[in-house]
Amino acid sequence: MVSTARSLFHALTFVTTLSACLVAAPAALATTCSETDAVALGWLAKMSRSYRELAYQGVVTFQRGDDLQVMQIARSVESGQTHELLTRLTGQGAQVVRAGHPLDCTHPGQQLLQLGDQLPASGCGIAEFYRFQVGEGKRIAGRLAVRVGIQPRDMYRYGYILELDRETGLLLGLSTLGHGDQTLERFQFADLHYGDSVAQPRDVATVHPARHPHPDVPDGGPALTAPWSVNWLPRGFTPTDSVAAVNARRTFTDGLAVFSIFLEQLPRELRPGEGVAREGSTTSYTRGMSLEGQPILVTVVGEVPLNTARMVADSVRLVR
Amino acid sequence: MTEQLRESLSALMDDEANELEVQRLLGQLGEDEALRQTWVRYNLARSVISGQPVGRLNLDISQQVSAAIAADVRPAVGVWQRLSRPVASLAVAASVTAVVVFGGQQLYQAGDPGAGAAAPVAATGVSAVGFVNTLGAVPLRASYGNQTMPELQPAAHTAYRELARQRMYLYMQEHAEHAALNSPQGLIPFARVPHIEE
Repeated sequence: MVSTARSLFHALTFVTTLSACLVAAPAALATTCSETDAVALGWLAKMSRSYRELAYQGVVTFQRGDDLQVMQIARSVESGQTHELLTRLTGQGAQVVRAGHPLDCTHPGQQLLQLGDQLPASGCGIAEFYRFQVGEGKRIAGRLAVRVGIQPRDMYRYGYILELDRETGLLLGLSTLGHGDQTLERFQFADLHYGDSVAQPRDVATVHPARHPHPDVPDGGPALTAPWSVNWLPRGFTPTDSVAAVNARRTFTDGLAVFSIFLEQLPRELRPGEGVAREGSTTSYTRGMSLEGQPILVTVVGEVPLNTARMVADSVRLVR
Repeated sequence: MTEQLRESLSALMDDEANELEVQRLLGQLGEDEALRQTWVRYNLARSVISGQPVGRLNLDISQQVSAAIAADVRPAVGVWQRLSRPVASLAVAASVTAVVVFGGQQLYQAGDPGAGAAAPVAATGVSAVGFVNTLGAVPLRASYGNQTMPELQPAAHTAYRELARQRMYLYMQEHAEHAALNSPQGLIPFARVPHIEE
């Protein structure tokens, strides 16, 4: 057991700095942006930048239905690298650590949000898929916020309300809105301090170093005996990492929503069918099907509506 | 098949299509083979859940589809109905696991020579359907005297629902690893993981 989070950071730095960064952003979209879109995209880009560059610590609440979790978040920046720590203060005594993440390492989802920095050369970015409203926000964790309302333009993604620190752009709160603007999930800071964190030892049973997928190194996860393809994605979704064609998992993002597809080859025929489980904004859709005569279980897990998961699962094919 | 039609079709499956979309679909289903095929595939999955025999979907059902869709025109699902949708529990209790064993077995096609054997799936590294956390569990056929009794099994839809719940539990952390790097919330996606494993 590691005595302090700080020493754990140092121990892990060595390992994770070896990982390089991910692929280029998708091609720019040639659309003219409305003024509202431009303002909102500017805020999203600022949010994405502030998340990378700022050091802070605070307490966050995370609510889905009747379930309320409280977590501590600490983030520090040192020699061009960020160190990040999430500690569960309720329920499971677990900690997630991301140490030695290079400042200039941005992943596809973040790149999509940072396109707002390059307007209008970058086109309209995710305004192709979402409508925005920018207004005065609430006070969160003692900070005045700007409210960015985000509505999907199609039915393949959820809506969001983002509350950003008016001064720094940091994401102070986020609500995920389902059909009929029903709140599916909400997180927000209860307490926030900027500056390098003073991590305190906690009564933690599990410490999990967050993984950092690399574009050129095979995932190492489970694989199928045949390559497979996804033949339909909602517009604007792009792979989060490059994986082998036989890798059993693939993950996609549009900058705000993320979903993963998992395939399992089954030893024998399964009755075709589908099943759904939901928790907060997460949908788990499982579909038993036969592809090229092989029984396959396709599961889509992610923060997307059921119909998105179903349509993506429906488009999975084995490549001969 | 246009993107918009596909979208409407999916909405129809989820009872989220409005009347205009339903009318448009009705008009298109008769002419669009790809759209009809998609509808058949969606229903193939759905019909198993409602316990209907799968075979009848192999027929050319464009007429039936039209009738079914026409019958499906009804007011939008009320907010109360939506709110009353049960929230899935992530707890995989022992009893639930037992159901999954039977459920998973039931989902395998009858008459398959491999049925009943808990063969691990080579290469995938993920347990086969119905065998997560069920080491040593063997499906049993209940009997009374010399007379074989019907197996006590949940309906297929229950089994599939349990599979979906079980897969959420199984895959949530792997999904969170990627969501944490590609959505604006930082490490927050890990809060969705029921039990974080090292």
